[in-house]
Parts: sequence; C-alpha cells; structure tokens
Amino acid sequence: MTTIKQTFRQASGHKRFTPANLFKWLLIVFFAFYTLFPLLWLIVSSFKTNTELFGNPFALPEVWQFVNYQNAFRVSGMLMMMGNSIFIALSATLLNVVLASMLAYCLSRFTFKGNGAIFTMFSAGILVPLNALMVPYFITITSIGLYNTRAGLILLYAATGIPMSTVIIRGLMEGISREIEEAAYIDGCGFYGRFTRIVFPLSRNGIMTAATFQFITCWNEFVFANLLTSSQNIRTIQLGIRYFTNQFSTDFVSMYAAIVISIVPSILLYMIFQNQIITGLSSGAVKG
Amino acid sequence: MKLTRHDRIGLVSFTLPGLILFLLFFIIPVGYVLVVSLFKWDGMTEAVFVGFDNYASIWKTSVFRRSLTNNLVWALVATCVQVPLAVLMALILNERPRGWKLFRTVYYFPQVISGVALAMLWSAVYNSEYGLLNGILKLLGRADLAKNWLGTLQTAFPAVLIYWVFYIGYYMVIVMSDLSGISKDYYEAADIDGAGKIRQAFAISLPLARNGIMTCVTLAAVMSLRQFEQVYLLTNGGPANRTSTMVLYLYKQIQNMRYGLANAASVMLIIVGIIVIVGIRQLFKLWHAAYE
Repeated sequence: MTTIKQTFRQASGHKRFTPANLFKWLLIVFFAFYTLFPLLWLIVSSFKTNTELFGNPFALPEVWQFVNYQNAFRVSGMLMMMGNSIFIALSATLLNVVLASMLAYCLSRFTFKGNGAIFTMFSAGILVPLNALMVPYFITITSIGLYNTRAGLILLYAATGIPMSTVIIRGLMEGISREIEEAAYIDGCGFYGRFTRIVFPLSRNGIMTAATFQFITCWNEFVFANLLTSSQNIRTIQLGIRYFTNQFSTDFVSMYAAIVISIVPSILLYMIFQNQIITGLSSGAVKG
Repeated sequence: MKLTRHDRIGLVSFTLPGLILFLLFFIIPVGYVLVVSLFKWDGMTEAVFVGFDNYASIWKTSVFRRSLTNNLVWALVATCVQVPLAVLMALILNERPRGWKLFRTVYYFPQVISGVALAMLWSAVYNSEYGLLNGILKLLGRADLAKNWLGTLQTAFPAVLIYWVFYIGYYMVIVMSDLSGISKDYYEAADIDGAGKIRQAFAISLPLARNGIMTCVTLAAVMSLRQFEQVYLLTNGGPANRTSTMVLYLYKQIQNMRYGLANAASVMLIIVGIIVIVGIRQLFKLWHAAYE
C-alpha cells in the first residue's frame, strides 16, 4: 500500500504540470539567474575591449581579449597582493583554530568554574558589531607596533574569530564519545596527551569547518585591512581591487579581469569545502 | 572525572591564550568605547570629560539620524523580506526537486564572494554609461527610465539596499538544516488527514524550524546594522548623505579625528544592536510559547 502511494507521489512530483509547480520552478530559476547573470556578465565583459563594453553591454566580444588579464596582473601587482592575502589568511586561520580547539577541548570535556560563563560570553561575542570597535582596534594595533604589518592583521583576524570558531568546534567535540578518552585516562594518558592524541584528531572535521569559515572571512575582509595598513607592499587582494578603480581609471575591462581573478579562489575553495560549510551551518554553531 | 592538579594546570594553560585575546579584542574595546564616548578627544590634545555631550551632538546632526534610519530600514527589509524569501526557498528545495544541490550551491555563491568584489560588480551593473541595468531597460524599449542609479537622490538608497535582498543562500542553508531534521512521519500523517502542502508548511515545517528561523532573523538584523563596505564602496554615503549608515558615519568621524563622536556612534550602534536582538528574542518567545 505504502509503496504504491510513494511511487505515485514520486511520479507526480516530477511530471505533473500544475500552477504550483510552475510557480516553484519560476522561483528556483529566478534566484539562480539573479545570482549568476551579473557574474557571467562581468566575466564576459572582462574579455571585451572598452569600446565594445560601451557599445552594447550584452554582445559577446568579437575577439576574446585575454590581454585584459595580462594587464590586470601587470598594472596592479596582483601576484604580490594574492601572496599577502594567502599568507595572512592562512596564518590567521592556523592561529585561530589552534587556540579555539584548545579552548573547545576545555569547554567540552571539563566541568570547572566559569565554563558556562565563557561559553555565554563567546556566544554574545559572535554578535558584537566589530565595525563599531574600529577606534580601539586601531589604537591597540598601533600601540603594540603592529600598524601597517601583516602580523597586525593576522593577530586581529585570529582574535576576532575566536568566539565563532570555539563555538563551532565545541559543538562538534560534544558529539564525540568519551569512552576512548576514559580508557586512555585509566592507562595514564594526561591532559595534554588526551588532547593531542585523541580529541584533536577525532574532531578534525569540526576543526576543518571552523577553519574554512575563518579562511573565507579573512580572505574577504576589507574594513580592517583598509584601516590598519597603508603601504602598497602589504596590501591584500581586497584592498587591491578597491584601488584598481584609481589605477585603471578608464580601462574598465582590465579592472573587471582583476575582480574576476580575485573571486576565483573563494569560489574554488567553496566548491572544495562545500560540505564543511554546510555542516558548519547545520551544526547549530552559528545559532548564537 | 575529578580535576587533578595536573588537569588544573592544563586547563589554565589551554584557556589563557584565547581568553587573553578575547579580553583584548572584545571586552576592553567595548569598555573603551563606552568610556571614551564621554570625552571630547582629537587623538592629540588632552581628552576633556564632557558627559553625554557627544551623544547630544551626534543626535543633533541630520547625517547621524539619517544613518540610523537607513540602518533600521535595512534591518527591516532584511528580516521581513530577505529571510522570508530564504525560508520559502528552503521549503521548496527541501522537497528535493531535480538539481536541488546545484541550486543550493549557486544560491550560496554571494556569501563566499567578498563584499568588495560584489560592490564593484554592482557598481558596474548600476553604471549610467555602460551599466547592465540601463542596458536591460534599453533592450525593453524603456530607455527613458535609464538613469545614474547611484547618483540620483531618489534611487541611490534603494539601489544600494536592494541588490542584497535576493542573496538568500546563507539563511536558506540554515533553515534547510532544520527542515531536513523533521521526521517524515508528521508529513505522512498530514497527508492522510488530507492537509495540503501550504497547510503542512505552516502547521509542521515552520514551527519545527523556528530555531533556525530565529537565528536567521537575528543574524539578518545584526548584519544590517553593521553595513559599511557596500555603501563605502558604492556611494561613500552620497548623494547628500542619502545612503549613509552608522558605521560609515563613525568611519568619517575617525578620519576627522573626532574620536569622542566616533565612539558615541559606536556605543549607539551597540545599544541599538542589543535592543534589536532582545526584541527579536522576545517575539520568538511568544511563538515558542504557542507550542508548549
């Protein structure tokens, strides 16, 4: 009985044409189109000449101008900025997840005074509008001599991401069975050994999730990179594409090429770590 | 497990680095803006205690009031339009239509692209000379409607605000994770009782996904209050401060070395944030109460 019903339902789900079905597909296609069309337009435009761009914004390029991409790399010091971004985002992510997983280990495995309070503070910390703290961050970073350095951004990114990463990793550590640890404890494995040999390796999925979020946030960060650096040789890619506007003044197509180049790594990373991101959002960790 | 001396030392050494950074980058900065907002200070000469004068002066400027209003409108649109759209799409994709995974991936794209790149993209879309939007209008034979979207008083703020509304991926994924946890039994029972899809959405899906929905509403409101990059890069607050936001206002005060005013604006931003978050929690408590 149920199988007949299910078969019927499956068949009707796909093939039956109803106004509700039409409406559903209109919505699905609309949102996909809305997300993709401007992006595709930007990519196609980045292969045109400036004259073609001004002529007809929808026409395909007569000859695909790969030279725009060469210009983007040549004019703007693109490679150096990418290098800076990769170095800063990787270091900040590493520092962040190491500190956060140490904290998460303590919070998920031990009952001690202040455990709950730390968790509450961190959950609230996720919602603090960091942009409102520009003045104190500027003063702190300047006073410890890290203004206009990569280290300054690394420290700031790692620190401001701690609440989020700790809450994500703690959530996933909670789900790991304690039996192995208890056996190890009886065998004389201490506080540090249980972390490095058991909890850390077992929770690597949760740690990868936190790391993915942290890396994408660092890679895309603009406000503090803008506030805390001034010289060209430590600029990140996000600052770079902002200043392309000045450098390329009227060469719009090369500017578009530069923007496309800056987007590619984020999209690639997302495609690779998509499952981690979905788990992260599903784990309830962001539900501060 | 009872804590041994060894465990205690371990706990201190493992929590201290993270806690010190939290103290340095969260607690002290928030305390700092609270205190310095009560002083008149340009960063060089001696700070003078002025009580709530900074608050009075920012409140008197129309730019700040306009910024606050813009932020609140933004939060309202995000919570009342963007999140409901995301919930609707979560309900639709949760039915697993053909290609749902691909659509989920695509909808999430804007979330991984940087705010700077998105702002540059949309400034190209809105451009008056070669922009995509004016191009579409010409194609439709309505060239008379083409305009400099970001430079016109009436259209600047809607233009800056609206492009974000249809980027729903982030909220959709959060709600979908709640929806996928709902037992199929409820829907089967509802089918037998003859309840339609819409009835099922309102009676089963939405109530059981209310935690996820509350998260989305909270995040949407909080992110609207933080808005900075888009307006900074698209219009820098213009024309005539029409598109200013609280953070942009505070950024401009920093550039002019008016730290007291900047910090007063920061405190206002934090207070408005707390009021909004508490308000949302209270509203959702009513909804929770209805199901207990």
